[in-house]
Amino acid sequence: MNGIWTKRRNVIRRAATVAATAGTLIALPAQAFAMHISEGILPAPWALFWYAVALPFVAWGLRDLRRRSEDLLWFKPLVGLVGAAVFLISCMPIPVPTAGTCSHPAGTGLAAILIGPGLTVVVASIALTLQALFLAHGGLTTLGANIVSMGVVGAYVGYGTYRIIRRLGLPWVMAAFLAGLLSDWATYAMTSVELAAALHGGESFSAMLTLILLAFVPTQVPLGILEGFLCAGALKFVRSRKPELLRMAAAGGAA
Amino acid sequence: MKAIDVTGVHFTYDDGTEALSGVDFHVSEGEFVAILGSNGSGKTTLIGLLVGLLKAKTGQIRIGEREIGSLSAEELYQRVGLVFQNPNDQLFAATVEEDVAFGPRNLNLPEAEVERRVTEALAAVAALPLRCRAIHHLSFGEQKRVSLAGVMAMRPSVLILDEPTAGLDPAGEAQMMQLLKKLNREEGLTVILATHSVDMLPLFANRIYVLDHGRVLQEGPSEEIFCHQEMIVRAKLRLPYVSRLMYEMKRHDGVPIDGLPLTIGEARVQLLELIPKELIIAELEEKKA
Amino acid sequence: MFDLFSDIFTYRDNALTRIDPRAKLLIALAALIAVVTAERIVLPLAVLAFCLGAVAILRIPAKLVACRLAAPLSIVAVLVVIQTFVTGKTPLFAFTFAGWQFTAKAEGLRQGTLLGAHVLGAVSVVFLLSIVTPAHRIFQALRWFRISRNWLEIAILMYRYIFVLMDRVADLAAAQRLRLGYTARGRALRSFTTLAGATIIHSLEQAQRTHDAMRLRGYRGTMPFGPLPPLGRRDRLILVSCLIGIAVAYGLLEWGVSG
Repeated sequence: MNGIWTKRRNVIRRAATVAATAGTLIALPAQAFAMHISEGILPAPWALFWYAVALPFVAWGLRDLRRRSEDLLWFKPLVGLVGAAVFLISCMPIPVPTAGTCSHPAGTGLAAILIGPGLTVVVASIALTLQALFLAHGGLTTLGANIVSMGVVGAYVGYGTYRIIRRLGLPWVMAAFLAGLLSDWATYAMTSVELAAALHGGESFSAMLTLILLAFVPTQVPLGILEGFLCAGALKFVRSRKPELLRMAAAGGAA
Repeated sequence: MKAIDVTGVHFTYDDGTEALSGVDFHVSEGEFVAILGSNGSGKTTLIGLLVGLLKAKTGQIRIGEREIGSLSAEELYQRVGLVFQNPNDQLFAATVEEDVAFGPRNLNLPEAEVERRVTEALAAVAALPLRCRAIHHLSFGEQKRVSLAGVMAMRPSVLILDEPTAGLDPAGEAQMMQLLKKLNREEGLTVILATHSVDMLPLFANRIYVLDHGRVLQEGPSEEIFCHQEMIVRAKLRLPYVSRLMYEMKRHDGVPIDGLPLTIGEARVQLLELIPKELIIAELEEKKA
Repeated sequence: MFDLFSDIFTYRDNALTRIDPRAKLLIALAALIAVVTAERIVLPLAVLAFCLGAVAILRIPAKLVACRLAAPLSIVAVLVVIQTFVTGKTPLFAFTFAGWQFTAKAEGLRQGTLLGAHVLGAVSVVFLLSIVTPAHRIFQALRWFRISRNWLEIAILMYRYIFVLMDRVADLAAAQRLRLGYTARGRALRSFTTLAGATIIHSLEQAQRTHDAMRLRGYRGTMPFGPLPPLGRRDRLILVSCLIGIAVAYGLLEWGVSG
């Protein structure tokens, strides 16, 4: 009992020390795209594994797209345009007080509320491919892992949160806020899991995970909250100006 | 032969706005017709009806000899082509070539024919050198011409343009209008353009429809349209600047001007007649020599 | 305002832009696999040197290179530090900072450096690919690799309209800034939210107009694609020799020289 306790305390202690150094280092441009796993970080087996996890979700999303665009000719242009909008939103610099600089929202929760989680995965896979190819954010070898964390986890957590809170009869602003917040945090947790799994080397997985989670806390916790505000605020703006557009996008979404 | 025949068309949007109330609109093959109207006059709605984007509940629309409802989508789009006001709306492929080929490929034409149509359409709008460029690298004027080529590749006999000169600089505006004139005269295309810019029209349009609050206020050749100063003002439009100048000179200064010149050329001829010969420098120099 | 896609260079005419995108994609993929599976740092660093050399010969502005490599570089720094101090057994050196004991370990340092080399090598490969191949050529190549048509159709629309929306959003953001929309934190957040909402509205309205325009040119639910010509002889030759070159380099640098 005592042994486990000291071991755990050691883990936390070590994690904290390195988090302090890593935290300062991460406040470099890296934090701006902290949630993208950079090209080349994952060893080949892990890269393949995450591809294998991501593919069925993308395939399912594409099936969803095919089904919904069969009777609605405008559906594919709509998905493409929402994708372009979310891509841009995710490139907008958002001021994060704790980092002292600007970071970027993910926009996945917002997209999931607008067009549903399946299509959000498709759109995210495209956005991540474009970013990997042309902006050196994320990567081709890490595309699978990034689709899983940013697309699959972010979209389904965001969408699920929104649906559950709406079903509880709570106001949609709250649902949207929590959808944005939780999808952001879930993405970051998943990214940490992916990194820890690949990088723990001889050390224990949980120690590495704690370390990475802690290293990202200073920027990701406030960023998640901002993302919640963003999600609710943007949705509110659209609802107040053009509610009919939301109904159009929601041919299967949740708003 | 009639290219377009619209009789007694009413159109009300879902939100209750009545956009067109009893419009008659007739265009013969090979004509160059302008629909002149301010913002919210119903121009865009009329265009939407002509290309089949909107459906009229009352009234009749015939394209050529056939009722618009009896035409299949494919037949309709090969008879009537629409060039949007904002080229970004209709340039959705990555490159010029792919975008212009979009229409022909949708018609399931053999690739050699697609290729021929792309080349012809780009040549027609003087955009052949742009062929392999990315759409987002084109200037606004180039985008306008490429979007016209995309419609031309469908080989419609009637070309409808929504504000074709909006946003262009004066040189681009003149180039676009000359291009349309050429397509009209040389290729025999029927051209219908919706606009609220009046200065170019007398030079190009055979006939003008003035639209206001969903009604046709007046219809006729430009000389007839622009001599109704009050009607023009009521439609929230204005005379071409030259005509305005001549109108004011006639009204306030009593300058004896016949009718109302609509173009710079006409105005020049009239003014030269009024100015004493000994004041005209070119004539003086001619005499000296 | 935004880190724009710098695709002007891809429209230049040079030896690399002339290669068929399918060949380039396969070569890049092979290079990526070689880099990611490398156990020693020589191969990834050789790839990095090769790519940077090519970039220099193509006269890509250093500013763009720095801009693209900045994020990966700082990730490399973080990785080296984390791995050095957290993993491994053999202590290299130790120091105390703010009451905490830090011990650098040899295995960790080696592992961290290797990872860093992976990142740099892989990022440079993709960077080189991205400045010699325009997006639409990559989409064409992907079609040849049997990537889903629906996926590509959405990708093409997204890529095209990112540029259109970007122009409008940049105007909006400038207007907000002129009216002091970003001067206080709370106001900045509100301005930002409005900007995001306006982007969504623009995109949905644009979707309607784009669909109208597509329909008027005969769109029936799938974007038609042109034919794909077979891979030319020259490109096949380039592809095969590059793949052999990568394999030989891999063999030499990974297993060849002992030590």
